[in-house]
Amino acid sequence: MQINPELLEKIVAEVLADLNGGTSRGSTAVAAPERVGGVKLTEKGQSARGTDPKEVVLAISPAFATTFKTTIIGIPLADVLRQVFAGVEEEGLHVRVIRVYHTADVAFMSHLAAKQSGSGIGIGILSRGTSIIHQRDLLPLSNLELFPQSPVIDLPTFRAIGRNAAKYAKGESPTPVPTNNDPMARPRYQGLAALLHNKEASFMDRSKAPQELSVSFE
Amino acid sequence: MATGKRSKRFEVLENRPVHKDGFIGEWIDVGLYAMGSPKDPKPSVRIEGDKIVEMDGKRREDFSMIEQFVADYAINVKNAPEAMAKGDLEIARMLVDVNVGRPECIRVMTALTPAKVSRVMENLNIVEIMMAMQKMRARQMPGNQCHVTNVKDHPVLLAADGAEAALRGFIEMETTVAVARYGPFNALALLVGGQTGRRGTLSQDALEEAFELEVGMRGLTSYAETVSVYGTESVFIDGDDTPWSKSFLASAYASRGLKMRFTSGTGSEVQMGAAEGKSMLYLEILCIMITKGAGVQGLQNGSISCIGVPGAVPSGLRAVAAENLVTMCLDLEVASGNDQTFSHSDQRRTARTIPQLFPGTDLIFSGYAAEPNYDNMFAGSNWDIDDMDDFLSIQRDFKVDGGLRPVSEENVIAIRNKAARALQAVFDELGFPPITDEEVDLATYAHGTKDIGDRNIPEDLKAAERLMKEGVTGVDVAKALAKRGFRDVAESIILMMRQRVAGDYLQTSAWIDTDGTVYSAVNDPNTYSGPGTGYKMSDARWEEVKAIPWAVRAEDV
Repeated sequence: MQINPELLEKIVAEVLADLNGGTSRGSTAVAAPERVGGVKLTEKGQSARGTDPKEVVLAISPAFATTFKTTIIGIPLADVLRQVFAGVEEEGLHVRVIRVYHTADVAFMSHLAAKQSGSGIGIGILSRGTSIIHQRDLLPLSNLELFPQSPVIDLPTFRAIGRNAAKYAKGESPTPVPTNNDPMARPRYQGLAALLHNKEASFMDRSKAPQELSVSFE
Repeated sequence: MATGKRSKRFEVLENRPVHKDGFIGEWIDVGLYAMGSPKDPKPSVRIEGDKIVEMDGKRREDFSMIEQFVADYAINVKNAPEAMAKGDLEIARMLVDVNVGRPECIRVMTALTPAKVSRVMENLNIVEIMMAMQKMRARQMPGNQCHVTNVKDHPVLLAADGAEAALRGFIEMETTVAVARYGPFNALALLVGGQTGRRGTLSQDALEEAFELEVGMRGLTSYAETVSVYGTESVFIDGDDTPWSKSFLASAYASRGLKMRFTSGTGSEVQMGAAEGKSMLYLEILCIMITKGAGVQGLQNGSISCIGVPGAVPSGLRAVAAENLVTMCLDLEVASGNDQTFSHSDQRRTARTIPQLFPGTDLIFSGYAAEPNYDNMFAGSNWDIDDMDDFLSIQRDFKVDGGLRPVSEENVIAIRNKAARALQAVFDELGFPPITDEEVDLATYAHGTKDIGDRNIPEDLKAAERLMKEGVTGVDVAKALAKRGFRDVAESIILMMRQRVAGDYLQTSAWIDTDGTVYSAVNDPNTYSGPGTGYKMSDARWEEVKAIPWAVRAEDV
């Protein structure tokens, strides 16, 4: 195994910080408002594998919060991001967001996020809401938790996704986020989901590398 | 919608369940189109030596990897010139004509290009598709498959539901998970439940492909189905796969004596935004041909999890029936869908199932929900356990064999209880988190997870991981059962493991009877050639189908 000196240094620093009785970042629960304004996402260049064991990487799809403003059931994507952030932050960890261009397949998006994440834990979210919590050393089409039914994913679920992702990153075995199952979601939404996905896929660029984003809520 | 004064009739119609369904118009450019799109390729073939050098208007050097695979492995080159020279309508008429035998139809259909197969289907109306299905399905006796899942992945409930489903007549059962890491326990619960309900039940655990192969090799499942293939290259590549890698996986199953089939279905490519402008049926025909080319014995199709897509466009459900028929015409087993919710309307739900139920297929449903749909982790099936008595009535009304039988409440309670106790014993023997007597009791009488408590999920997940790490196999399960007084269930599990050595159930359309006899297209081939031929219910079977317990009997009045 190759030892990455930068990673080693970072882990030592984190351990020391913990030993000194404080975590380096917000360990108190964040009371996120249910609704925020918009969100500003700015590309900072090609994303790379992180070394911070306290980060969860979130991969968003090509047109997330740009062309698409809401999930399939109309939840603003800015609120989705805020809740995922809040979930992760209430566990004392933080989120790094990347935008993926080369695929709109949430399994590969979330697996990429996990591979780039210093903690080895990643989340992937499509514009319509479909989500996955993934881990670096799992197979791409496996996962830690899968939320396949976009029409039943609400804001508390997005927050719980963030919270559980952070718990996995800390090495815990959380109880999985309770699964919502609406057998009638498909008849109502699948045709629409196909339409939305074709629109989203038209923003894909197979030759463009994932981009790191800075996120500011407005 | 009218803007002025509203018609009360239209107001009523708008509030009917069918108006909750999603209907969308065709969008030719992205392939949101059921069958016969103007952008589908035109049939053609050119052969040099024994190689196809042009197919459906494309030269060999321009083939995608899918087209190359299909051209090289899925088309009978020797018969192709003759078959391709026939008219689309002529071949369509052969499929319906009772005077043209199934073998002759197979000879022609397996020598056509994908676009030609599509043209043949476009010439058939829905009743003709059903007539052709009756003749073309591989095995004589129809069968049925169910889903056994629940939203809590509650193992005791899974075992009880599996046992009840087997008792009701499902020859195959499939589970999947709410939480992927519960997978090993789901496989175990279904193995114990299925074999308790009826010796010979085939069970599978639909999960990540490598995991499925491993639990199959260990004897915790007896077949696999969720090996997906797609009709466009980009979707295949997105899944890190090729037709060759899928063929390799298929041969891994075969080498271990495990039954398997591929899965595909109309709508998946367009759902993933990669239909490249081709119609859903055309792309599905490529999938069916990939399956044929891979040497796999069968296919699950009928749109499957994408049914909301063909279900939303014009002629979509006709295309879904056509894809089942094409599978049969390539001499493959078909597990013909009907396994996913696609409509709020009971009328549409029933109509969608008729094309498979009335002619009969190898597995009419590839997942009838053996639990209430709120517990169906395939996101709901077209029919669930609450529809069971409707299904039994329809079998009786039309004297049609849908593979299921009426059962008594006492027998169901008894078999559920036995399966729950058997799993309790296995958990205890293997040192897994205990199953309490209360859980056994709740699972025995439950309708679904709403009637059952919560387990300690993190503890169960740790134990499930241990099951995989410690290499627990079907033999360990059988030993535990035998030790704790469930010798008959233990023997059933050993019988299932012996099947891998014999290999008979690798034949097309195989299922296993209670005495261990394998029935397949080899020893029970479809012989339909018009009225008075083909599958006919035995007298005993008809008596069973007739005997719905809630019918009033003349002698009792």
